[in-house]
Amino acid sequence: MSTPESYESAVERLEQIIARLDTGQAGLRETLDLCREGKSLIDYAAGELEAVGKGLEELRLDDLIARLEAAAPPQP
Amino acid sequence: MSAEPHQEPLPGVEAAGIEGFPGPFAVGRYAREFRDRLRAMSRVCIVGEVVNAKTGGSGANVYFELRDAEGAMRCAMWRNEFERSGMRPEDLRDGVQVVAAGGPDYYTGGANASPSFSFRVADLRLAGEGDLLVKLDRLRRELAAEGLFEPQKLLRRPLLPRAIGVVTAEGSAARRDFLAGLERRSWRGRIVWGYAPVQDKRAAPAIRTAIADLAATGGVDVIVVTRGGGSIADLWAFCDEALCRTVAMLPVPVISAVGHDVDSTLIDDVASVCCSTPTHAAEAAVGVDCAVAGERLRHAARRLDSCGRAAVMRRARELGGLSRAPREHIDRHRRQLHQMAREIRASGRRGIGAQVVWQERVAALVLSRKRDAAAAAAAAEHSRVAARAARLERAAGALAERRTAALAKHTAALFAHDPERTLERGYALLLDESGEPLGSAAAVRDAGAFTARMSDADVRAKVDE
Repeated sequence: MSTPESYESAVERLEQIIARLDTGQAGLRETLDLCREGKSLIDYAAGELEAVGKGLEELRLDDLIARLEAAAPPQP
Repeated sequence: MSAEPHQEPLPGVEAAGIEGFPGPFAVGRYAREFRDRLRAMSRVCIVGEVVNAKTGGSGANVYFELRDAEGAMRCAMWRNEFERSGMRPEDLRDGVQVVAAGGPDYYTGGANASPSFSFRVADLRLAGEGDLLVKLDRLRRELAAEGLFEPQKLLRRPLLPRAIGVVTAEGSAARRDFLAGLERRSWRGRIVWGYAPVQDKRAAPAIRTAIADLAATGGVDVIVVTRGGGSIADLWAFCDEALCRTVAMLPVPVISAVGHDVDSTLIDDVASVCCSTPTHAAEAAVGVDCAVAGERLRHAARRLDSCGRAAVMRRARELGGLSRAPREHIDRHRRQLHQMAREIRASGRRGIGAQVVWQERVAALVLSRKRDAAAAAAAAEHSRVAARAARLERAAGALAERRTAALAKHTAALFAHDPERTLERGYALLLDESGEPLGSAAAVRDAGAFTARMSDADVRAKVDE
């Protein structure tokens, strides 16, 4: 179970999992595996949503460049 | 124009002049003189950008302004001459470069009409390569031919970006509208503002630098370029070839929202997606409503939890039931097996009985058909025998008749050869002692005595010589 590539891929896989569970055809082992994977995906997606829900952060491009240049290792 | 028109002051008008200036003259006449002198000026061609064209309605004139960086002139053209020029009303859009032929004119007005100056246009045409729209079309075709409209379309645009780079004018309405669009998505991530002028000669290089820098930082997931509407001349910076080539090759998806629905700039073509307004650009940049998405995630979490619990509980109940009553389970299956065996036997019996009845019916039917066939064959044979008997009987009768006739014929022939018939005609048959016929005179002499047989009796005789 790898980390999802993106929020949308996580949500897409989550929808597949729920659709599979809704069929009622998954055995106990498969159900438990799907639930475990689904919870992992939910954690990831919730983290992504939380990252864009804390509060708007506005930066000027010049400030960002200056910040990046300051953080860059000194040239040899 | 000379210092004064050659007119006399109007009769009855008593007005003192001003020293050093001829007149006063009646203004209407002065206006007509002024108009005539303007009309006497040389006819020329002027070139400039169309602004505020008024081609609609049914008025006798079409109006527009021609402008360039140093000045402007109000133009009027008779509608029939405009139509003869081959230009269409939609060709007279803001920003279109045209060449107008004509000369200055003056409407003198009247007691209730205001005067106005205009360049009276006699003919009009689009200004070739100078025309911004022609240039835009050429650039569009070039970039399309090079395939530069495609690369941005192939980039993956994240549904939920963490950071958005925005290139727009600082303090612009577009900036405000974009923020409002983000708020509608409940998105509160990081925005990196790449402020740049959006409407003059500095605009295109500044926008290009801002876009390239935003992508180079690696700190934004998507870049939005936006400004409000305007004429094609106002939006020309967004048709800059170098800018559009930069956007086309950028590894970060670019969303353009330049102008309004009716405006089409070149950056719209090369961008990953183009939107009609800054608000729509915000909604395109953030593909989900974050509040709704959060609620859906919570619902999904509850659904997963209930599914997991339900699956475990269902299996647990099954296991408990199996462990408590294995014998009942086996007995149930045994009863089912016995019941199935009984049903199979009953079914077998029903099957055999039905088969016997069926075979009897088939046999009776076969025998009946064979009997009928034999009777029919016997009748046919009887007919054939009767026919043959009749034919034989007819043949036998014919044969008897033929034989009777032949016998009569033979009898007649035999009767004709009978010696007795010859004797009856008077001839005599000479016989020796033994009764043998004597066929010659020598034989009669040798016999010496003989019997002469006549038809009615024999006579004994002797040879006399």
